[in-house]
Amino acid sequence: MSTLFISDLHLSAEHTDTIELFQEFMSLRACHSSSLYILGDLFEVWVGDDYIDTKLLPVIDALKEYTQLGNRLFIMHGNRDFLMAEQFEVLTGGTILPDPYVITLNGVQTALSHGDMFCTDDVVYQAFKAKVRTPEWQQAFLAQSIEKRREYAAAVRDKSKTHTSTKPHEIMDTNQSSINQLMLDLSVTQLIHGHTHRPNLHQFTLDNRPMSRYVLGDWYNQGSVLECDHNGCTLQTLESGSVLASVQSKVID
Amino acid sequence: MIKMQTSKGTIEIELDHDAAPKTAENFEQYAKDGFYNGTLFHRVISGFMIQGGGMESGMSQKPTRDPIDNEANNGLKNDIGTVAMARTGDPHSATAQFFINTANNDFLNFTAPTSQGWGYCVFGKVVGGMDIVNEIKTQPTGSTGGHQDVPIEDILIESVEVVE
Repeated sequence: MSTLFISDLHLSAEHTDTIELFQEFMSLRACHSSSLYILGDLFEVWVGDDYIDTKLLPVIDALKEYTQLGNRLFIMHGNRDFLMAEQFEVLTGGTILPDPYVITLNGVQTALSHGDMFCTDDVVYQAFKAKVRTPEWQQAFLAQSIEKRREYAAAVRDKSKTHTSTKPHEIMDTNQSSINQLMLDLSVTQLIHGHTHRPNLHQFTLDNRPMSRYVLGDWYNQGSVLECDHNGCTLQTLESGSVLASVQSKVID
Repeated sequence: MIKMQTSKGTIEIELDHDAAPKTAENFEQYAKDGFYNGTLFHRVISGFMIQGGGMESGMSQKPTRDPIDNEANNGLKNDIGTVAMARTGDPHSATAQFFINTANNDFLNFTAPTSQGWGYCVFGKVVGGMDIVNEIKTQPTGSTGGHQDVPIEDILIESVEVVE
């Protein structure tokens, strides 16, 4: 049985085709796995566990079905759905993981992260992130009406679009020295993360040891999944309607 | 006025005894007792605030006096450079720890006399040494003993004096 990693699905009521692709993935692919890790941004926005758009309910149901079959589900917060909390865990049967989190994956010490922590060159974003992750901010935000929270989330998304469209590409990518530091600090030789939407396998040497960094792809137009078993890991692309016959993506560095 | 000598330099703070009488007096008493000497700025978040005045090196918490009433309904706003009281989830739980806002933190302001809406009580503002505050806010941080955003290198509050 394999372990699957996905991230950056950005599921929202506006994009029902991606929800359908996810349902297809859960029923045709995930059923052959024993653990599923969702490394952030499962949802485009999450304003609190007390509001779930009805169009997203099939997503919750699919996750619940997965755990009810005895499989293990782990979820990490992304930069958009960091308000997922205890109620979400209850609804899905999943466990929310801290970021970063270390697992032993088929004998390899592996760090998991959403990946936004490596974009250290984007100081504007890091300052925003630091503030919204504080208990003070979250308490004040969750105390507002659902309408107000949705308005705020929409405004932040618009602002983020303006910001990212005017930023040089390098700033939005990961910073290699912060990646090296984390891998050394956590004593791992493998890292799996998402966030940048640039699926790839990067292999490099650190302290004379070979290191692997898998970057998961986003789900805007097609799906992306990393499948790991005792033979190793493969990064795959999922086309709608052909999830079973998924195409293995070309891995380059 | 308050003269706060830190390991990064001196910060001068003017207390607002009119708008926040109990809170300003509480802070002044801790200062006179020498309570703040040797405490840290132990929580530093650049786009938010710098918090200190309760932990010693090694992140051990100093015993304080009883908590005070929250005077956040005084109309003062948590704008850049203002000084406010830190507290737990209970609105009326502030003791010695304070923070200096490094952003206009509207979400910390009083909106309603409820547990969610009480906000954080502003009781003074920085009138000198904002450059020191700005230097402190950008110090690298990490996680220590269950606390996040702790400066990797101790930022010490060496002394807090009440000067005329």
